[in-house]
Order: sequence, then structure tokens, then C-alpha cells
Amino acid sequence: MNENTMQATPSADVEVEASASAVSGRPIAIQVNNLDFYYGKTHALHNITLGFPERSVTGMIGPSGCGKSTLLRVLNRMYDLYPGQRATGEVMFSGQNILGSGLDLNALRSRVGMVFQKPTPFPMSIYDNIAFGIRLHERVSRSEMDGRVEDALRRVALWPEVKDRLQASATALSGGQQQRLCIARTIAVRPEVILLDEPTSALDPVSTARIEELLDELKTEFTIAIVTHNMQQAARCADQVAFFYLGELVEVDSTARMFTAPRESRTQDYITGRFG
Amino acid sequence: MTRPVFSQAADRPQRSGVLALRRKIIDKLATGMSWLAMLIVVFVLGSILWTLLKNGLPGLTLSLFTHSMGAPGTGGGLANAIVGSLLQTGLSILLGAPAGLLTGIFLAEYGADSKLARTVRFVSDMLLSAPSILIGLFIYMVLVEPFGHFSGFSGAAALSLMAMPIIVRTTEDMLRLVPVSMREAGIALGAAKWRVILFICVRAARGGIMTGVLLAIARVAGETAPLLFTSLGNSEWSLDMRRPMASLPVAIYQYAGSAYQDWMQQAWTGALLVTVGVLIINIVVRVGIRGGRT
Repeated sequence: MNENTMQATPSADVEVEASASAVSGRPIAIQVNNLDFYYGKTHALHNITLGFPERSVTGMIGPSGCGKSTLLRVLNRMYDLYPGQRATGEVMFSGQNILGSGLDLNALRSRVGMVFQKPTPFPMSIYDNIAFGIRLHERVSRSEMDGRVEDALRRVALWPEVKDRLQASATALSGGQQQRLCIARTIAVRPEVILLDEPTSALDPVSTARIEELLDELKTEFTIAIVTHNMQQAARCADQVAFFYLGELVEVDSTARMFTAPRESRTQDYITGRFG
Repeated sequence: MTRPVFSQAADRPQRSGVLALRRKIIDKLATGMSWLAMLIVVFVLGSILWTLLKNGLPGLTLSLFTHSMGAPGTGGGLANAIVGSLLQTGLSILLGAPAGLLTGIFLAEYGADSKLARTVRFVSDMLLSAPSILIGLFIYMVLVEPFGHFSGFSGAAALSLMAMPIIVRTTEDMLRLVPVSMREAGIALGAAKWRVILFICVRAARGGIMTGVLLAIARVAGETAPLLFTSLGNSEWSLDMRRPMASLPVAIYQYAGSAYQDWMQQAWTGALLVTVGVLIINIVVRVGIRGGRT
């Protein structure tokens, strides 16, 4: 089914939209073309076309139920877990349509990592939380693993806080620490893209600020897509912002233009708090 | 008695006073009844334990653990019954736990709401509440009659059929308590489903799953009925599970109905041993759960 729609997609569309990326000078890491998504019979995403520029942050905003999280879950094929959910259209990632059948999903997910709204530390030690993901995809020696774990924890600025208790249970960490651990776990696998689904909505303002700082650093190496309900967060972190409403992509533009001069009145209304 | 529909402001304190009194009485009454019910239950349990201790402790001698069962008046012990119970219960868990764990994992993680899963769940729940004598008779027909003799193996098989549905139920319930987000986080790292189940979900639920296994042990250790038609009982020392085998519950059953003073004494002591054993398992479970939560 996916192949058919892929062939039916006019290739001209791709170029038009790809060139419409709001972050100038960056190649596109993931290009979504004419994506439709269904939860059973519910049509949740309508004809989405959107490019995610390499090594920059794409913020996705919109009221609850607008489909932004759904789009995120298409990018790593998370929806595959649930029968009845399906996507048609095309999502190009390193020259391949990831909606196609026969794709190695585990390999895809090692290249497109995801961080969730609620911190989800695994019921094991801090060390093993990081090592778990690495072991899935690589054979590494004990000493190399130690290095990888330390490196991942340093990059999320968690190392000083946990270096003396790496064997302690990860569930004993605070919420903010747990979320940073989850980010460390994700980058330890060395993905190219990181998807963040409202990563700070369960955290206090201090932890939120730390994660936002972290995003600034991470984007030098990773392509980042972040779903957020917090308009300020989108304004602070994102290079381009996409506004979704009722399953449609209303508008995508650079963050500066989006928050100062949106083209659509619906965008204007949403970001000024008139609805949503 | 008649009160205006819209009461005057002045009425209000009085009316709410009546209501408050009513509430207070009902509250006291309900609390009192709860206390009464609790006291009855505690009294019954306390009485059982007290009677067991009073009648069982005098027979708790070293020779009870060193001598096999013997004829009345010959100073026999319960050694073969204790060992028989340990062997049969142990083997029944070795058989029942893997099957129960895997079935529970299937129901929680793979079967979900499919027709097969619903059927398996239904059958397992039925087995859970099946009369244990029926399970004994079933094993008698498939494992005793065809071989022509009673055996410790068939006793263990009957007990494993009792243990399995308990383990199935607790395993499934505990796995269902693992949040979806945990599974998704594992999948999002690129882990295959079986890895997520084995290394994340089962790990997260291990405390509860262990509790289920220990409760199953406690449950089958005291079963008599499934053993009557399977391992039968044996008054001699025997570690051969292909032959009839003694067990504490069956020994209690035989001795308690006898007319001999020393046998009846040993029945009390045997009952005390089973009860204390089950109690210890339950305490281990509780301490384990508390330890697992922190």
C-alpha cells in the first residue's frame, strides 16, 4: 500500500517543499511528503509535507490532538506497534522511504531516537540504562563501554551527579535527572535524528531550562524534532517552527518569522493565545 | 415535622446538627462492625495457630526429622514425608513455573485480546478454581493408570497443574502493570520486542512475578487431595519418584484419622510444620515486596 502511494507521488512536489525549508543552507535530513495517517478509521494527519533540516531544531506546536505527536511517531515507525494505525505517503530518510515494507525497523530506530514526555528509566542501574541501547546494536569491550557511558552522561551534564553511583538504580533519580538519563541513553546509540515528545512537560522550570540548554548543544550534531505545548520553549529552542491544527500542517517557517509575522491568521491566533 | 422547602437561615445550624449527629452515629456503627468482623477473623486465625502450637510443639523432636514413618508405637518420624513434600513441591514448581511464566508472558504481551488469548485466560482461570480432587483424578487417569502404579512424579504433575494457573495469573497481571511508555522507550532504542519483554518488562515486574511463584509454592505445599490418587503416600523412606511417595499433607490425613495416640500427635506436629513453612514463605514474599519497592 505504501509503495503504491509512493509511486503516485509527483516528484515535483518533493523539490518544491524541500526548497521551502525555513532554515537556509541546511540539507534536509527527513523529508515528509503527502503523508496521511489513520488511527483505524480516524484520519489524523492530512497530506503533510514537511522537511526537517539537518542539525537544527524543528519545533512542532499546535493544540492537543492536532497530530504533532502522531507525526513524530511516524518518523521512527512507532505506530507499527499498534494494529489499525497506518500511514500513507512518503517519508524520505537517507535516500529511502521509511514507510516502505521490508525495512529493518530496529536499525531505523537506532538512527532515529526518541525521548518521551514522561521520563522512562528502565528498571536497572544508571550504567545499564545507557549500556542497554549500545549493546543492542554494537559489540563493545567493557572498557569501551565504560567510555561510551561516561561520554553520554557527560553530554547531558549528568556525569558529575551520578559518577559515584553508576550501579545505583536509575529509578531513584529525580525527574529531571531521569529525563536527562533518557536523552543520554538515546544519544549513546549515536542516532542521526532525535525526536522529543514534550520532553519537559513533566519537569520543573530548572530541569526544563537544563534540557533546553542541552538541546542547543545537541543540535550541533543531531537533527532534532521537538513537540511542545510551550510556546516560549518553541521560540527559545527551535530554528524552524511548524504549526499543526486539526491534523493539518497550517504553516512552517523560521522561528523568528513564525512568532513575529505568521502568514496564517490561525497561527497568529494560536501563538497569541486566542485558542488552543 | 413538616419543614419548609426553603428553610430560614435560622434553621440551618439546627438542621445540620441533626445531620451531623446522624452521620456520627452511622460512622460509629460502621467502624464498630468493621472492628467486630476483624476481631472474629483474627480470633479464628489465632485460635488455629494456638491449637496447632499447643498440640504440635510437644511432638517436635529430633527423631521426627530423622526417622521415617512407622507402625504405631515404634517411634517413627516424618522424615520421609517431609522430604517427599519438598521433592514433589519442588518438582511441581520446576514444571509449573516455566510453563506458567511463559503463558503469562504470552497473555500479557503477545495474545492481548485475541480469541486464543481469551480462551487460554478462561481455561487458566477455570483451572485456578477447579476442585483439587478433580486434578488428582485427571492425573490418575493419564499418569497413574497407564503405568500401573502410583508415583512421586504423578504427584508432582498434579501439584504443578495447581501451581500453573496461579503463576499465569500473577505474571500476566504484573506485566500489565508495566507502563506502555516503558515498552515504547525500549522499542524506540531499536530493541526487538522479545528483548523489551525479557529485559525491561519482566525485569520491571520481577518482584510481583516472584511473589506469584512463592504464593504458588505455599498453595501446593499444603495440598492433600491431588496427591491421594497420584503419589498415594508411602510409609517407607524413598527418594525414588517413580514409586509411591510420602508427603506431609497425606501423612497428616492418614495419621489424624487413626486411633493411635502417637500418630495423632505426629499429625498435629506435621500440620504445624506445613503451617509454619507456608507462613515463612508468605513472610519472605512480604519482606521481598517491601524490599523490591525501594
